[in-house]
Amino acid sequence: MIKKIKASKSEKIILIFLVILSIVTIGPYFVIKNECLFIKNFDPKNINFKNPKNIAILNLPCGNVIIELYPEISPNGVKRFITLIESNAYDNVAFHRVIENKLVQAGDLEFGRKDSLDYGKIGTGKSGLGTIKSEIENEFIYVKGSVGLARTYKNDTEDSQFFIILQDEPLFEGEYTPVGKVIYGLEVLKKIKHQRHSEYILRPDFINTFRMLD
Amino acid sequence: MNLIRAILLLIIFITPLRANTIYNLIKIPNLKIYEINTKNKLKYLYATSSFRLGVQKNIVCLSSNKKDLERKYKTIYKNLSRYSYNYLKKINLKYIVLCEDLSISGINTAGIPDNIMKTLILDIKFNEDYFERVIHHEVFHIVNDQHRELFNKNEWSKFNSSEFKYAECSICTEKLGLETYNKTNGFFTEYSKSTASEDMAEVYSHIIFLSKNEIDQIRKLDSILDNKISYIENKIKKIDNSFNF
Repeated sequence: MIKKIKASKSEKIILIFLVILSIVTIGPYFVIKNECLFIKNFDPKNINFKNPKNIAILNLPCGNVIIELYPEISPNGVKRFITLIESNAYDNVAFHRVIENKLVQAGDLEFGRKDSLDYGKIGTGKSGLGTIKSEIENEFIYVKGSVGLARTYKNDTEDSQFFIILQDEPLFEGEYTPVGKVIYGLEVLKKIKHQRHSEYILRPDFINTFRMLD
Repeated sequence: MNLIRAILLLIIFITPLRANTIYNLIKIPNLKIYEINTKNKLKYLYATSSFRLGVQKNIVCLSSNKKDLERKYKTIYKNLSRYSYNYLKKINLKYIVLCEDLSISGINTAGIPDNIMKTLILDIKFNEDYFERVIHHEVFHIVNDQHRELFNKNEWSKFNSSEFKYAECSICTEKLGLETYNKTNGFFTEYSKSTASEDMAEVYSHIIFLSKNEIDQIRKLDSILDNKISYIENKIKKIDNSFNF
C-alpha cells in the first residue's frame, strides 16, 4: 500500500514562493502588451536646438528619434539625405536590417515600402536618383547613435539606405559616409523589431514619417 | 536522420545572431581588434581561432598566442609605419590580419594581399630571417594589384638578358630562395627569378628594406638592377609623389 506523504509547512511556503515568482517573471510578457510603455517620446517643439536647420525628426512606432545632420563632414551625403527626407521618400519604408543592440538599417525605397514590400529583393533597391560618392575623408568617430549611409561592398555606391548604430563601431570610420548623429531618442530605436536568428526582418517595423525640423 | 535534422534545426533556432563587424567589413571570420589607433590609420586585427577562406576554403591560417603576437606586432608595426596614411589610401590597404601558419592549398606563404578588401594577411610565424623584408614584398603586391596599369610585365622583362625567361607562375618553379645574393646579376634573390611580378616585389622590398647606401652600391655594380630600381621608384612616385624611399 502506498503511503500518502503530506507536504510540510516549509515545502508549502517554497511552492507558493515559486508560483508567485513565476507569475511575477512571466506575467509582464502577457500583461504589458505595449512595448513602448517606458520609452520617452521627445517632442522637438520643447527642445532648443543650436542649429535647427540641420535637425531631422524620424517618427517611429515608439516615438521620435531626433537626428542632427553634419553637412560640414559629408556635404553630398547630407544633401542627398535631406533631398529624400524633404520629398517624404522615407515614409512607410521598412527597417529591413536590424541587429539587436547593434544596428538598424532602413531606406530601401524600391523594395522596402509598406505597400510594395519585396522580401526577396529588400536591401537591393534604388532611389532612382543614382549613387553618390563616398565621403570618408573627414574624421568622424562612429559612436553609439551615429547615422551613416549604407553602401554595397564597393565605395561610391551610396544611395538612399542609411543605418544608425546602437553601439560604438570604431572600424566604421573611413568605411561609411557619416551623415549625422541621434541626439534624442536612441531608446526608440532599440524597440525596432529584430529577430534573434537573422539580420533581415520578416514583417518589419516601418518609418511613420521622416521630416526636417524647419 | 530526421532526428539529426531536427536537432540541427533546433540548434540553428536557439542560436542567437552574433553580428560581426569585422567579418562584415573584410569577410574574414574569427578576428578581433589588436590595435586600431595608429598614426597611418592601419587597423591591426588578429585571429582568435583558425579560419578558412576562399571559394574552396583553401586559404587557412591559425590563431597565435599572445606572446608571439606582441613580439611580432612590434616588428610589423615598425615596418608598416614607414607608409603614410595617404600612400596606404592610394594603394587601398587598411587592415592587417595577424595569424600563423598561413597557407594556400597547403603551400605555406608569408602573406596574402587583397586590395579589394583592403586587407593584408600576414603569417607571423614566417621565417624570421626574411620576415621584415617580406612584409614590404607583400605590400608591393597590394600596390601592383591596385595599380595594374602602371606595372607592365613586358617592359619589365626587357630589363633582363634576352635568354632569361620567368616561370609561368610563382609556384611553378623551384626558385623559391629568399636569401639576398652577394652577386646580384640582375636579381636580388632566387625567388626574383620566378615571375615578373615577384621580381618587382623583391626589388621593391629591397629598396624599402636596405639602406640608401646599400642600394646605391648595388646600383653602381648591377646595371640591370639599376634599371629595375629606377622603374619601381618612378612608378611608386606616380602613385604618391611624396613617397620617400
